[in-house]
Amino acid sequence: MKNRLAAASLFLAFLFSSCSKQLNIYPHSAASSSNLSSGDMELLLTGVYSVVQNAPGPQSYIMNDMVGGNLISARGTGGALVLINGILRPEQSLISSAWDGYYKALYQVNELLKATGTGNTTGRVKEIEGIAHFFRAYLYYDLVTKWGDVPLLKENTSDKLSRTPQAEVWAFIESELNAAIADAPDFSSYYYVSKDAAKALMARVELAQGKNSDAVKWAEEVINSESFHLDSYDKIFRAQQNQEEIFAFLNTTVESSVNISTLFYTYAQANKGSYVYAPASDVMSMYDDADLRKDISISVVGTDPIINKYPSGQAGTDPIIVSRLGEMYLISAEAQGSSGLNRLNDLRRFRGLPDVTPADDAGYQDAVMLERRKELLAEGFRWFDLVRWGKAKSVLGLSDMQLKFPIPEDELVLNNLLKQNPGY
Amino acid sequence: MRYGHFIFGSCLCLFLQLFISGVNAQDGSRQIVKGYVINDSGYALHGASVRLIPNDAGKSYLTSTDSAGMFTFTNVVAGRTYDFEATYVGYKTGKVQGLKILGGKTNTVMIRLYPTVRALNDVVVIAYGTQKKGDVSSAMSIYKPNEYDSRPVLAPDQMMQGKMAGVLMDAGSGTPGAANRVNIRGIGSLSASNDPLYVIDGIPIKLTNGALGDFGEDMSSISELNPSDIESITVLKDAASASIYGSRATNGVVLIKTKSGQKNKSRLDFNAFSGVANVPYLNRLKIDNSASYVQVVNEAIDSYNLQYGYAPGRGNFVDYIRNPYPGLPDFDWTNAVLNKNARTNSANLSLSGGSTKNTYFISMGYLDQDGTIKTNNLKKYTGKINLTQEIFPWLNFGANTNFSFSRNNRVPGANLGSTPLARSLEQRPFDRPYKPNGEYYIGGTSELLRNNAVQILNEEKAYLEDYRMLGNFHLDISILKGLVLKNSLGTDVDYTHDYVYYNQDHPYGLGTGRLTDQTRINSNLLFENTLNYDKQIDKLNLSLLAGHSYQKFVTKTNLTDGNGFPSPSFDVNSVASVILAASSGISENSIESYFSRANLSYDDKYLLSVSFRTDGSSRFAPDHRWGYFPSVSGGWEMSKEPFWPMRSTSLKWRASYGLTGNQEGIGNYAYQALTGGGYNYNAGSGLAVTNPGSPNLTWESARQADIGFDLGLFDNHITFTADYFSKKTTNLLYDLPTMATSGFTSVTSNIGSMSNKGYEFTLGSNYDFGRVHWTSNFNISFIKNRLLSLIGNDPILVGGNKVLQVGKQVGSFYVYKQLGIYQRDDQVPASLYNTGVRAGDVIYKDVNKDGIIDVNDRQIVGTANPTYFGGWNNSITYRGFDLNFSFTYSYGNDIYASWRINVTRLGGTFFPNLNNEVNSRWTGPGTSNTVPRAIYGSTYNTQNSSRYLEDGSYIRFRNLSLGYSLPDKLIQRMKLKRLRVYVQADNLCLLTRYSGIDPEVNDNLDPKFMGDDNLVMPQPRIIMAGLNLTF
Repeated sequence: MKNRLAAASLFLAFLFSSCSKQLNIYPHSAASSSNLSSGDMELLLTGVYSVVQNAPGPQSYIMNDMVGGNLISARGTGGALVLINGILRPEQSLISSAWDGYYKALYQVNELLKATGTGNTTGRVKEIEGIAHFFRAYLYYDLVTKWGDVPLLKENTSDKLSRTPQAEVWAFIESELNAAIADAPDFSSYYYVSKDAAKALMARVELAQGKNSDAVKWAEEVINSESFHLDSYDKIFRAQQNQEEIFAFLNTTVESSVNISTLFYTYAQANKGSYVYAPASDVMSMYDDADLRKDISISVVGTDPIINKYPSGQAGTDPIIVSRLGEMYLISAEAQGSSGLNRLNDLRRFRGLPDVTPADDAGYQDAVMLERRKELLAEGFRWFDLVRWGKAKSVLGLSDMQLKFPIPEDELVLNNLLKQNPGY
Repeated sequence: MRYGHFIFGSCLCLFLQLFISGVNAQDGSRQIVKGYVINDSGYALHGASVRLIPNDAGKSYLTSTDSAGMFTFTNVVAGRTYDFEATYVGYKTGKVQGLKILGGKTNTVMIRLYPTVRALNDVVVIAYGTQKKGDVSSAMSIYKPNEYDSRPVLAPDQMMQGKMAGVLMDAGSGTPGAANRVNIRGIGSLSASNDPLYVIDGIPIKLTNGALGDFGEDMSSISELNPSDIESITVLKDAASASIYGSRATNGVVLIKTKSGQKNKSRLDFNAFSGVANVPYLNRLKIDNSASYVQVVNEAIDSYNLQYGYAPGRGNFVDYIRNPYPGLPDFDWTNAVLNKNARTNSANLSLSGGSTKNTYFISMGYLDQDGTIKTNNLKKYTGKINLTQEIFPWLNFGANTNFSFSRNNRVPGANLGSTPLARSLEQRPFDRPYKPNGEYYIGGTSELLRNNAVQILNEEKAYLEDYRMLGNFHLDISILKGLVLKNSLGTDVDYTHDYVYYNQDHPYGLGTGRLTDQTRINSNLLFENTLNYDKQIDKLNLSLLAGHSYQKFVTKTNLTDGNGFPSPSFDVNSVASVILAASSGISENSIESYFSRANLSYDDKYLLSVSFRTDGSSRFAPDHRWGYFPSVSGGWEMSKEPFWPMRSTSLKWRASYGLTGNQEGIGNYAYQALTGGGYNYNAGSGLAVTNPGSPNLTWESARQADIGFDLGLFDNHITFTADYFSKKTTNLLYDLPTMATSGFTSVTSNIGSMSNKGYEFTLGSNYDFGRVHWTSNFNISFIKNRLLSLIGNDPILVGGNKVLQVGKQVGSFYVYKQLGIYQRDDQVPASLYNTGVRAGDVIYKDVNKDGIIDVNDRQIVGTANPTYFGGWNNSITYRGFDLNFSFTYSYGNDIYASWRINVTRLGGTFFPNLNNEVNSRWTGPGTSNTVPRAIYGSTYNTQNSSRYLEDGSYIRFRNLSLGYSLPDKLIQRMKLKRLRVYVQADNLCLLTRYSGIDPEVNDNLDPKFMGDDNLVMPQPRIIMAGLNLTF
């Protein structure tokens, strides 16, 4: 009897011993957000590069080619318009994943700016802020060119927001880029944001708004910089050190979920690909044989035409170029009007082509437009270029509503302050 | 004790005895008659009453059996005839009639008793203990599998199908080891974990996907258990029975008790079966032949060119296609990937018994089962040891352990791009796997439309290995009479290796081979103490329980993903030239609980049960951590009242009310605002804010009321159980979609409430028609689900074809409604005409009447939930024969046949076409009002719409078995206790209007996504033969 009472009381002691402290369990791969300090800023900055690179998803980088007539569905059903009509729909997941991705990335940038705002404003903190301002401008450029008026967040909020008029968004982008040009670090590697990256983006922003003289100014500033020279496609698109790139995401395989190459390569190629998008037939015929860009830009595998700028297939990922000098030449050439012919021919000569001598302004503009299409194929320019030039309807057969992207349906359902773009 | 050699020994003794006393062996002499009373499965029945009745109306005698089930009559007269009649509580009276006693011969009698359908004194397994079945006042269903009615299944959840009212078991996929959907009393939660809580030998088991990587379908994590080891399955359906498992009981609780030995009764069982399986009803997937395919696609191209005015050289003119292999026969792709002769072999051996102070049950099981896709095979080895030992009269020790190893050679499931069945179906009829030179045609290019399934099966090696140890060790201390302290330690350790190797020739092999190698160790530790007190005070039976438990779950994972292998024979990542990814993870959560219960019964008439539990979960912030789950239930045995007029009728009323909770389906750290690592760039480590935090997150809880009765008519020849329940779940846990501008697209939240109401009926009968004995059980459940509220009451879109909408069912299909087919161009609204819609295209309902068809025109057109479902199980015995058959059925559920989209494009793209769609397509006014025209380059007709929504009602002839047990005399000679041979057929026949092979299609077990058919592997038809042998 004694024994069993002793044994029982021993276990009863267990019974009433609380384990409630054992209920405090914390993750091994994350830390509480309230513990962030200014010392974590470099880590957050690296995180911003990672999120901005990854969040919008692979198709976002070539979306303007997909809806701009450069690409069609692979294995040939339907022309460019069939693909475009399939994508420009409010319920299309490619639309929402791009929208969601830009805002997810913006959230991290804003968190970084919140963190730097609490630290000491030493030289490096200023630089980090400059980089953050660049990324905000970069994200809003994508948002405003695709959707027009978009919610503008200068700091994070979970409140419902209505769409800010695009003029205000453009002004914000410019002010962000001015901050970036002032504070971002000097150019050292094109895999990091620099003052020159901000200038190159500024040139693009000014051109988009029709501020041609400013566009020329920024483009020429970059062209005349010691850091950059036109370089061969072999280097640019085969991830070799080159002098052409101004800013690109490194997009290494282990750090990235953005695999563009698998969308273009086929299973018949050595490193495979799921072959989702193929170049349209007019893309296949637009390069002269002498054009040094041709074989790197397009190819034919078996009987299947492919885009060849992203060479890793299914096996890996390739760097994603944001700005390179070729674009600066074309911006300068376009914004100067026919007096920019030298810049156009500079580029053509470097790419192995003879000079052109357009008869008139319209001919010059056509020449610039064609060159731009050839130079920047599958780099995410075409649709907005056509929209900018007022050619989207005549060239592609788009309807009026298709000059803007639809606001994703999921977002409209969740935020009744948003109004859909007309027509959708 | 079981009977084989013992009888042999006894008979020998008896024979010797008779031989020695042979002189007296003549009529009129006094003889000894020995006999045995056993039950249907061969166990001796101790304490059975046996009556000896002389046929010439002399005096009858009464005796009872000893612990070995043996009885003896000494005053029997040779030459006269006697009846022997044995009775035992819970069993029907058994008789041996007209036995003539022989002098000088062996006079032995064996009486086999069969249980009554509803044995009120049965003890049932309940939470933290057992209870007399008659004392149960809550709603629970019990299934005790036996050799007669068991199907050849892998997992215990499959055994339950159709057996119990209110329990919906819907098969996920026909591949061995795939996960199944189990719903108890409707959709309990919105989060993915709609599974009930499984408690195996007292250990609550966390259900996880048995696979680590995405290989196209979820795998079951309880298929490692050996169904043959299961003694009983109790499903706790209402709050009163389940809420003592409070924290995780919202979706019901399934208690599984494994077998144990009996004191002084040794027994050896050997069961084996062998069978073949194949996929039935393949003719439902008839693809149009290549001649017709070419014709239809060219018709589509014609329409396109004509419609847009394209001509050769003008516009986007599209040229005709032609068969690239004219003269060659079409290739049968499905035939090339299906295994028409899938073998299954299984063997089980169990030993059980015990002495006066201990019991043991030891079993070994082996299963080798082919899937119905080539290369798919599962091998499973299980072992079990259950022991109890009395150390002192006041101290008992017990251990229940299950060990298992399984290896599943997998094939891609329905949600993976390389899934063999769907990809085979979608090849153009003239496509073939091999070029004339023996190389593969490469899928996804112009030479072959879809992934080459033959290549995929040949060039990949994918397996899932699982090692599991599930065990419970307990020490019971009797402190005072009736007061027992039970301390138990439960462990469930599960090691999984998920290996997917695509060699260099596989489309996903990256040209040099790719290996994704993942391992996971799940450990689940339970530390539990309970105090039980049982007391009888006059007519009052009192059973009290108090307890405390702490349970911790830890998951550790490792992954390496490499490519670059010298040749396919190198298949580990240490030789990979590139490591694409490498990671490891640790994730934990824990629950602490205090619980108590009082069960009272007075005079066996008035029943009351009250329980209370509180749980703290590490998944919620300290302020919202604890949930409280009380319950009460009462019962009244009305037919035991003195005023009850009908002696042969019994009636019991039951009612219960209580609260249960749920915390599954959300992240371990969902409430915490977190900054996560791994956001690296250029080999520098980076951080990002990964979770904004939900500090107010708390328990999802359900209030459930239940009222029911158990009716027995004609001395329980007919039994009827009815229940009505109403369950309201509040604080539903869900990853609430949020505006992307907030930086996140979803936040785990308590989002709303939902109700499930329903009726459940079970009708049992058992009849004797002479020597034919028939028992049957029919059950039917009507359950209605409704979403009561959502944050902001705005609908939440789910996937491409579902919605969560207040007032509607969870699982509602939300797509365009097809009204018909435009017969003339002038019927087409201008807005659609401008986008290329013409006569022959689908008319979608313009819900908001704005003249255009867009996302605002979607509406709820159906539901994945059945109106009613159930099963009908029958058992007929005649002498040694037993015939068992069962049906399962479901009515009123819809299926979204998304697999059909790719094979009904009718030239929209180059996909092939289902034969019946081609034959009924629109070709001119009046030709069809359901199937559209063939038109190239258009996806208008294949948008998500009611065109692909089908009635998923079915009746399945689930199982048929015919067995023969050798006569007792014969098996005695063979020194056996029992030998039964049987043949069995599973899934013999299916009545359904669904156009796919199988209407059980839940490839996604999330209730929000259920009812979508991506062509999951259908349930196989299995024909097999087996034997049950008992020594």
